[in-house]
Amino acid sequence: MRMSFERLVSWGAFSMVVACGGAAVPNKELATAQASVRAAEVGGADKSPQAQLRLKQARDKIAEAEKLIAEGENESAARALRCAESDAELALALSREHEAKEEAEEALKKIQRLMEDSKS
Amino acid sequence: MKKLARFADGTGSSPLLVLGLSFLVGCGAAIPPPELVAARQAYADAEKGPAKELAPAQLDTAHQALEEAEASFESDPESEETRVLAYVAERRALSSAAVGATEKARKRRAHLDEEYTEIERKRATMTKEELAATRARLAQESDRVRAGQEAIAQRDAALAQKEVELEKEKKARAEAEGKLTAAIASLAEMGSIKEEARGMVITLNGAVLFATGKYELLPIAKSKLDEVADALKGQGFKKIVIEGHTDSRGVARDNDKLSLQRAEAVKAHLVARGLDASLIEAVGLGSTRPVATNDTPEGRANNRRVELIVTPQK
Repeated sequence: MRMSFERLVSWGAFSMVVACGGAAVPNKELATAQASVRAAEVGGADKSPQAQLRLKQARDKIAEAEKLIAEGENESAARALRCAESDAELALALSREHEAKEEAEEALKKIQRLMEDSKS
Repeated sequence: MKKLARFADGTGSSPLLVLGLSFLVGCGAAIPPPELVAARQAYADAEKGPAKELAPAQLDTAHQALEEAEASFESDPESEETRVLAYVAERRALSSAAVGATEKARKRRAHLDEEYTEIERKRATMTKEELAATRARLAQESDRVRAGQEAIAQRDAALAQKEVELEKEKKARAEAEGKLTAAIASLAEMGSIKEEARGMVITLNGAVLFATGKYELLPIAKSKLDEVADALKGQGFKKIVIEGHTDSRGVARDNDKLSLQRAEAVKAHLVARGLDASLIEAVGLGSTRPVATNDTPEGRANNRRVELIVTPQK
């Protein structure tokens, strides 16, 4: 099969685009990941070591993605950002778990104090 | 797929087999990436935990993410996409487990809060009951105190009343005594008064009371006897004996009669003045009890007398 020159050129251009990362800059993924990190921060992720670890992973991934974007590796950057988002979401879930457990603990202590008060 | 992998692992290194192996790998019969292994484990753990009951939506999301990763692994095992999907799937599984644990803790907290409220309510009720009991006890106590105070007040009032009465009585007695003293003082010119073992003896001079040989009281004697009667009324007495006495001149029988008549006259006058007749006895003793010699006019004058022996009331 013979290929016309025009087709050859367009194929070549397409291949070049793919080789350079092909996809557009993942601005939406970046924004989503950053929003998730902020949500985790606001949600008190710094109070739980587990959540802190996940939050750090999310931030690292975002930093990695930004580096990849700078290098034009948009597809890899998008993947890293998806990972970052899931890390940040996990951080938020863990911080909520931590908070709920602490509140339950506090409720228990309150009862114990009440019982001690009743005795005296 | 695992079977083929094991088969591939166990083979030698013949060119054909190497070719076959590369063919198999190329077809996706590969070892799952660590991300997928971790995702499977995380999902299995989440499914065993509270998420299944308390966070089914999150667990389902995690399940879908894992399926996606598995599908990707199936079609393109070594692709970056598979690793990313597996990575995300693991995080979703861990997140669903965290949500399950969160819900569990919240339920526990709600339960504890309810328990707290219940205990507090019971405590408040108990305290209320205790308060009511204490109040009732205090009320009883104050009733008792009030009753005691009333009794004391009554006793005080009674004492005060008694004191007033005593004072009145004392005053009355003093008045009566004063009257008697005054009466006796005015009697002094016609007689005397002495405390003797038989009682208070008022001696009245016969000359002042009666004319010679008569037993009618003279007007002056009447007014004096009125004073004596009033004083005796105020004082109170148990008994009065009125004795008539004469001197020794004349016939004894006549003397006895006259002395009795005179004693009767004094009694009659005292009774007329308001003294109780049943408490007064009149006797005529004639000349049997002289208080002086009958040989001199002065002695005989002293012997002519009327004596009132008053037994005081006690």
